[in-house]
Amino acid sequence: MTVSAMLTLLVQGFGKSLEIFTLTLLGSLPLGLLVMFGRRSRVAPLRWLVKLFISVMRGTPLMLQLMVVYYGPFLLFDFTPPGNWRFGAVIVGFVINYAAYFAEIYRAGYESIPVGQFEAAQVLGYTGAQSFGRILLPQMIRRVLPPVTNEVITLVKDTSLASVIGTVEMFTRAKQIVASPNTPGMLALAAAGLFYYVFNYIVAFAMERAERSLAYYQ
Amino acid sequence: MKKLISLALALVLSLSLIACGAKQDDTPQTGADTPDTTQTAEKQKLIVGFDAEFPPFGFIAADGSYDGFDLAMAEELCSRLGWDFEAVPIVWDSKDAELAAGTINCIWNGFTYTGRENDYTWSDPYVDNSIVMVVKADSGISALADLAGKSVMAQAASSAVDAINANESLKSSLKEVVELADYNTGFMELKQGSVDAIAADLGVAKFQIASNEGDYVILDEPISTEQYAIGFLKGNTELRDAVNAELLKMAEDGTMLSIAEKYVDQGLVIDSLCLVK
Repeated sequence: MTVSAMLTLLVQGFGKSLEIFTLTLLGSLPLGLLVMFGRRSRVAPLRWLVKLFISVMRGTPLMLQLMVVYYGPFLLFDFTPPGNWRFGAVIVGFVINYAAYFAEIYRAGYESIPVGQFEAAQVLGYTGAQSFGRILLPQMIRRVLPPVTNEVITLVKDTSLASVIGTVEMFTRAKQIVASPNTPGMLALAAAGLFYYVFNYIVAFAMERAERSLAYYQ
Repeated sequence: MKKLISLALALVLSLSLIACGAKQDDTPQTGADTPDTTQTAEKQKLIVGFDAEFPPFGFIAADGSYDGFDLAMAEELCSRLGWDFEAVPIVWDSKDAELAAGTINCIWNGFTYTGRENDYTWSDPYVDNSIVMVVKADSGISALADLAGKSVMAQAASSAVDAINANESLKSSLKEVVELADYNTGFMELKQGSVDAIAADLGVAKFQIASNEGDYVILDEPISTEQYAIGFLKGNTELRDAVNAELLKMAEDGTMLSIAEKYVDQGLVIDSLCLVK
């Protein structure tokens, strides 16, 4: 296999990694907010359930969760989810796992805002939703950006876990290339490493710009 | 074992179900729960599960398609029967779950029959292979007895591990058996000296030796001899019978041999094809 053929295959694999990355963020960033509200709910049973959810999501390996989501419906209920479930299960698994982490990051940001901000909004006649959306949320976003960046960068590398249920993303592709006849040694793995690094560099750069544009008090 | 896995899965899943129950509305859409009824009406489809890191039986070609002796055989068999063909690269450790879930309906990928006779419904064996030991050419190891106190690598969950375990006297003489996910990593370790020998199928061993001319040798004495066959979910004799009948015809009329000859360069051993006379 030539180096250019190898790179073409890797780029295809990277496309799949990018797809997992994007869909996971689109699903888990908003879902995390809902989980945070559940975690802070005044309804005790809901709060306990959400705490249990977060505890299971953080306390078991993502690799195992992906296997449960993928094989669970078949093995437990003899049910075949329609469509491309191999990929669907990856997205579902990643979204609920990352939502649990994001929820806790959001909570840290939310609870760090002085209660006076909320009270001031109330005095000025804001409704509860308005106080949250216009006063608390913008401040919260600013505070949670650095830890969210951490998670986003981890997610880029975690996409390789999708290989456990047979989704061919960049890392699996690289391993397949290394194993195929007449290939230039471990070059594909080194190239994959470079792809991950460069992409994460871009992510970190973009998030730093976002932080700077939100630092309106400095 | 399967029951244990199901039980463990049930436990974790019910935990997450309980946890998810509280926020039904915000869990992502997993698709409508209408059962898939279109499948039975369509024509027969052979969904072959294979390991894409296992040349010459299954590997990725330069154009990104999956290639290999077994896949070429399967594709030819499907076109002769007028069936649809799909090749699904699976994680080898998960082959049983994939088969049970119906996401594949056969395993056709240098799949070892010997020792697993009762675990699957099998075609006739079409390859007679052996598990052999590969050592560095300059290691001074020339027989299995020389491996006393040495480290041996074998692919995790592979038949090479089973062969070593079955050979009590060999196993007890070894320092350790290092189980790694794939043979490329194994040969890296052999090269740098962190393992002393690699236990592998003859086809795999010959392939690795051919691409590293003169560096490695295969010990004359095999650890075990074994046969490859196509594995189906236990009890799926209907599909097995149809595939097996056509497989025998392909061996009879020379199709199997002509396909096999294309994979000799990748390490396929023509002599190991036991259905070809």
